[in-house]
Amino acid sequence: MKVLMKLSGIAVVIAALTVAVFGAGTGSAKMKATKASSFKLGVVTDIGGLNDHGFNHLAYLGLKEAEKQLHIQGEVIPTSSASDYVANLTTAAQHGDNLVVAVGFDFATPLVTVAQAFPNTKFAIIDYDASTILNPKTKKPFKNIEGLDFLSQQSGYLVGYLSGLISKAKHYTTISSVGGQKIPSVDSYIAGYQAGGKAADPKLKFLNAYSNDFADQAKCETIANNQIAQGSKIVFQVAGGCGLGALQAAKQKHAWGIGVDADQGYLGNYVLTSALKKVDVAVVQATRDLMHGKFYGGGNIINSVKTGGAGYGRLNSVAKPYAAQLQKVLGEIKSGKIKNIPTKVK
Amino acid sequence: MSSPGRLRRAGRGALIPLITVVLAFIAGGLVVLFTGHDPFRTYGAIFDGTGLNYLFPWVGGNTRTIAGFDLQQTLLNAAPLILTGLSVAFAFRVGLFNIGSQGQYTVGAVMAVWIGSIFPNMEPVLHIVLAIAAAAVMGAVWAAVAGWLRAVVGTHEVISTIMLNWIAIWVANYLFQAGGPLQSRSQAGNPVSNTIVSNAHLPVIWGNPLLQGLDAGIFISLAAAVAFWALMNRSTLGYEIRAVGHSPDAARAAGISIARSYVTTMAICGVFAGLAAAVDVLGWEFQLSTGDIATSQVGFLGIAVALLGRNTAIGTVFAALLFGALETGTSVRALNSNVFNPELASQLTLIIEGLVVLLVSTDLIAVRLLGLPAKLGWGRPEQTTEGQPPGAADEAAPDPTEALRPEPSL
Repeated sequence: MKVLMKLSGIAVVIAALTVAVFGAGTGSAKMKATKASSFKLGVVTDIGGLNDHGFNHLAYLGLKEAEKQLHIQGEVIPTSSASDYVANLTTAAQHGDNLVVAVGFDFATPLVTVAQAFPNTKFAIIDYDASTILNPKTKKPFKNIEGLDFLSQQSGYLVGYLSGLISKAKHYTTISSVGGQKIPSVDSYIAGYQAGGKAADPKLKFLNAYSNDFADQAKCETIANNQIAQGSKIVFQVAGGCGLGALQAAKQKHAWGIGVDADQGYLGNYVLTSALKKVDVAVVQATRDLMHGKFYGGGNIINSVKTGGAGYGRLNSVAKPYAAQLQKVLGEIKSGKIKNIPTKVK
Repeated sequence: MSSPGRLRRAGRGALIPLITVVLAFIAGGLVVLFTGHDPFRTYGAIFDGTGLNYLFPWVGGNTRTIAGFDLQQTLLNAAPLILTGLSVAFAFRVGLFNIGSQGQYTVGAVMAVWIGSIFPNMEPVLHIVLAIAAAAVMGAVWAAVAGWLRAVVGTHEVISTIMLNWIAIWVANYLFQAGGPLQSRSQAGNPVSNTIVSNAHLPVIWGNPLLQGLDAGIFISLAAAVAFWALMNRSTLGYEIRAVGHSPDAARAAGISIARSYVTTMAICGVFAGLAAAVDVLGWEFQLSTGDIATSQVGFLGIAVALLGRNTAIGTVFAALLFGALETGTSVRALNSNVFNPELASQLTLIIEGLVVLLVSTDLIAVRLLGLPAKLGWGRPEQTTEGQPPGAADEAAPDPTEALRPEPSL
């Protein structure tokens, strides 16, 4: 019954698409769209949920964007507890999804068993090195898992550089960062931020602390308040939903905030800019690649400033004057002139 | 007592929880209606999502495969809930409120994952038994601290168990964080534990072992429920616990050590919670991340399960099955998205669970404070109180005023 209803749902979608395209015009376009619409993309989010203003949300946006651009069918399966990891991946594979995107490192171990059970389904894991996920039987990386990795240190470097320029001009001595947890994907942002800040203003001092939480805003707010009390004038949040509390503290104490992952400039003019991790772009790209037969099983797609997967967001009125200098640094990262940006926080 | 009499009492005992559940479902249905969906279709879809349609012989083909998978997940969810439910129910029977089930579960999980991952070549049966025992003992120690504090210095167990929950979470956080002593060797920098070796996996009895099929942990849960019943109703310790739960003063006068009862009871509660953790870790989880620890709710859900199950073994089993089924049936994965919006579905779980707790508590208010059933001539559902004065079963729920009075040390 359930499958029947699901099938009828799919039929409706296909019919709607066909009608839409038919209405739009030419026969060849119709052929193409109908062919593409048989491709199914599944996104399995982590426990943070769809409304985390960051990571999961961006993956979901990527799915929506892929539906629009590539005329595929998408489904999103949010995870609410640890027992959902394997079950959600399994369900996506059972639905016949051609590509299943797993959001975050929590899926590394569940993927080991699911990828064995569904050797013909392609999986992608965000922010994780797929070459380290080994098939216990062959001791080799899986041919059907690819990693969507991000060089977040580049985004961190850019916003750090901006902070350094502003600090120099305004005689700020100290800036800070609030991390959600000491994990590689967080630390690479912070390490880049500090390196970029130093490059622009060698005398700048950095404070850094972790909330050990990605959801509870109060924790990040407390940490940011402490940092501001110690003289920090710019607070870079690297803590997802929790970090919104850090930005809140910056707003109330008249310091500047810097957003993370998504462009959080919409929060107000107190957000200088945001360090971007364009998970949405990566999801669309991975989908398009697979539709063209390209899949990097056992390897990674590296998203960087060069590929448009990393960068900075909208600049506020204080940051705008430095747009040209930032663009120059961005070009230098792209061309490889600035390289070996650190990924580890000392 | 003749067996028809016992049956009648059991029937009466089941009646109120059943009414509670039906009322909660009706109220939930109104919420569904309010969101513009058809409650009957939605409940039908939730039912299918739990996998219970697997029991219908006419369900076949791919639907049957998916139903089987969903039913495995339902039972997988229910197994630890039975144990955390027992862990809360056992404390209620002595008049203590064990909010610490979550913390006892956490320390048990840490032990299970540690023991399960450090011996690469141990005999499977021995390894499993060792890991389960370690989890149970650690849970017992953790809970006994609260029992001991209550017995000796009068610290209220609600306060101490909540504090112990946080201590457990932060200790686990420290152990598994980047650079922590138990952090994974193979996953650079991520805050996860090592994975347990395959020798320490509980055998899968139904479904695909690669895809989180149902493991033998459910038998551990059911065995624990039988042990709960036997301990409570067929042992001296159980008699003492019930006596203390009924009236500490009378029990003391009869020569029962209140302090010892509290410590022993809490330790047994901790065993149940620790077992819940072992069942999860050795059955399907195999690894813990700090995020999993922080977001786990299984101990807290145990409170609702115990309340609905009337603090009896059999009631807890059925309540846990209901909650496990609800969790699976309303998950975005299992619920047909054409029938009910997945974003709303998981809220529906919370609504129904919340209503159950609320209605169970109103029932307790009605029974205890207003004495309604007696006035209506229902009689109070007696559960397991042979040889005790009438009304002893009321003590299934703790008397809040009693609980707030610290026990003098003995």
